[in-house]
Amino acid sequence: MKKSAPIPVAPASETCLECDGLERFLGEAETRVHVLRGVSLRLERGHVHAAVGPSGCGKSSLLYILGLLDRPDAGTLSISGQAVADLPDDELSRQRNALLGFIFQFHFLLQDFTAIENIMIPMRQLGRLTEPEMRDRAAELLGAVGLGDKLNRPSRHLSGGEQQRVAIARALANDPQVILADEPTGNLDTANSNRVFSLLTDLVRSRDKALLLVTHNPGIAEACDWVHTMRDGLIVDHHRNQL
Amino acid sequence: MPPSLYIGLRFTVSRKRSLAFSLLGVIFGVAFFICTQAQTQGFEQYFIKTILGTSGAIIVSDRFQSRFTSFDNTAGGTVLSGQARRKYYEGITDAAAIMRVIRQFSNVTACAPIVQGNLTAQGDFQSEIATIQGIDLDLHLQATSLGKQIVKGSLNDYRVRPAGLILGSLLAEKMQVTVGDNVTLIGVGGVRKVATVSAIASSGNNIIDDRRGYVNLRLAQSLLNKPSLVTMIVVTLRDPDGAPQLARHFEELFRHRSRDWQTREHGNLLIFSTLRLSAGITVSLIILLAGVLIFNTLTMTVLDKAREIAILRSMGYRRIDITLIFLFQGFLVALIGSILGAMMGALLTYGISLIPVKITGFFSTDHFIVSWNPEHYLYAVLIAFFAVLTASYFPARRAANLAPVEILRGSGQ
Repeated sequence: MKKSAPIPVAPASETCLECDGLERFLGEAETRVHVLRGVSLRLERGHVHAAVGPSGCGKSSLLYILGLLDRPDAGTLSISGQAVADLPDDELSRQRNALLGFIFQFHFLLQDFTAIENIMIPMRQLGRLTEPEMRDRAAELLGAVGLGDKLNRPSRHLSGGEQQRVAIARALANDPQVILADEPTGNLDTANSNRVFSLLTDLVRSRDKALLLVTHNPGIAEACDWVHTMRDGLIVDHHRNQL
Repeated sequence: MPPSLYIGLRFTVSRKRSLAFSLLGVIFGVAFFICTQAQTQGFEQYFIKTILGTSGAIIVSDRFQSRFTSFDNTAGGTVLSGQARRKYYEGITDAAAIMRVIRQFSNVTACAPIVQGNLTAQGDFQSEIATIQGIDLDLHLQATSLGKQIVKGSLNDYRVRPAGLILGSLLAEKMQVTVGDNVTLIGVGGVRKVATVSAIASSGNNIIDDRRGYVNLRLAQSLLNKPSLVTMIVVTLRDPDGAPQLARHFEELFRHRSRDWQTREHGNLLIFSTLRLSAGITVSLIILLAGVLIFNTLTMTVLDKAREIAILRSMGYRRIDITLIFLFQGFLVALIGSILGAMMGALLTYGISLIPVKITGFFSTDHFIVSWNPEHYLYAVLIAFFAVLTASYFPARRAANLAPVEILRGSGQ
């Protein structure tokens, strides 16, 4: 059996998400697939991590487990030192809402809502801010992604690049510790892809978040602090880019 | 506003066209339910008012003597074989004493003695068999609605004449007599008395109006050869619903047959309640149809919004939040549908109450009779909420149970 590469340690950084020996099976009986075979990973604040590898190697499965959307069959997972893998469903939802931000390849905005309303949706669930405070924060985030003039535009009337920027702002809405992005630039042209990636990494670094993004784009992977290469359900290599 | 309700409201607005059909179903269902219940109960209450007005809430009549059967010896042992049987003796001999006691009951408002029997009423052109009631007018007016039933002539005329006669309207019509005409009453053993028609009464009940006549109590006793007998005592109550209990008490107390109006009119009342139930069930089907529509709409919404549901879950919305989003849409349809349906139901009921219609038979009316009962509105709203929320629950649960990972894996633009 292949072995996962040892986890490198970034001594000066604060670990905010850590997993060890994650395993996951998908499907049943004859179609059962061992998609994660003991994955270990550590994400630190202010760092951008890329997960790369061929299709079907388990990148998205890993992302969903780290994002508390799926449960591992084995292994441990902790956020800010607290074990979360065995928490009840409602508590996982609360942790997702407060500590994690998601960005998907296809922006997945709520089509009936305006840009600012989309960003306020996670804030409403968190319930820490008043309506005007939520509105102000959402407007600030949209301003940060360059959409300050399109606050009240219905999301379906935004271009693909604009929609993905709204999705980035939405991922930051509750000031999460970790952002998980599943090919966030995969559906954009090169210019938009570069713009969205730059925006995302700048925001993550300036706001001291941890970012794990899944990508097939070698250029984007090389621009990340860390690259974790996956193959057949294992991380076979971790390396740090010299930026 | 809680986030689930906010999102539910926005989803509702985005699906307004399909939800509008469900809403219309609820509105019409609630309105028709209220309207049909108002009519059926209106007629039922009018019928009850008619029978209470003509025959009182309780009729105390024949004296009885309980006759218990003896213990039967059977092979297996001793068995108490039967319930009490009664031997009846016609009429009431001590009516005045019984009425004095009856008046002591707080629920009793009035009571009046009646001597009743069949005799031949002979006019100038036609003879008819009539059911004559001998009454004490003043007591009878307190205990029945006879005063309001007079359609021709006057009770004062009846009061001053030694042999005044009040005839049922249909009987007078058959005999071709009117106020001021003389009628010969031929009683038991051929006793003949000439009475003058003082008034004509219409109770609205054809059976009564077709046969009944009223004369002085003493005159009736003489004609029917019942010199000191009273056939029955009519008792009216403040709360007619308490009649069965009081009737049972009267039987134990007086040892006279006492029949409450509910027992006397059981068959007719059963027809009314069956009609009301039938109308309620039929109209509830409209509301249930609206429930099916909303089930369909919400199921389509869940399929359509599966990706958005997965996104909401990824943003930390719990299963219960997702459930509430969809239940709230159903709740909104039920709430708006109930409010508008109740308003429409009230308008329809009012409109129907103005429709002229000539009904005679059990009772007589010249317009639709409706009942303004808040319970109709309450039941309509409860049925609407039950149907719509039940129909919303299953799509809502389906939405909550969607696995976000499977949707996200399979999602493309």
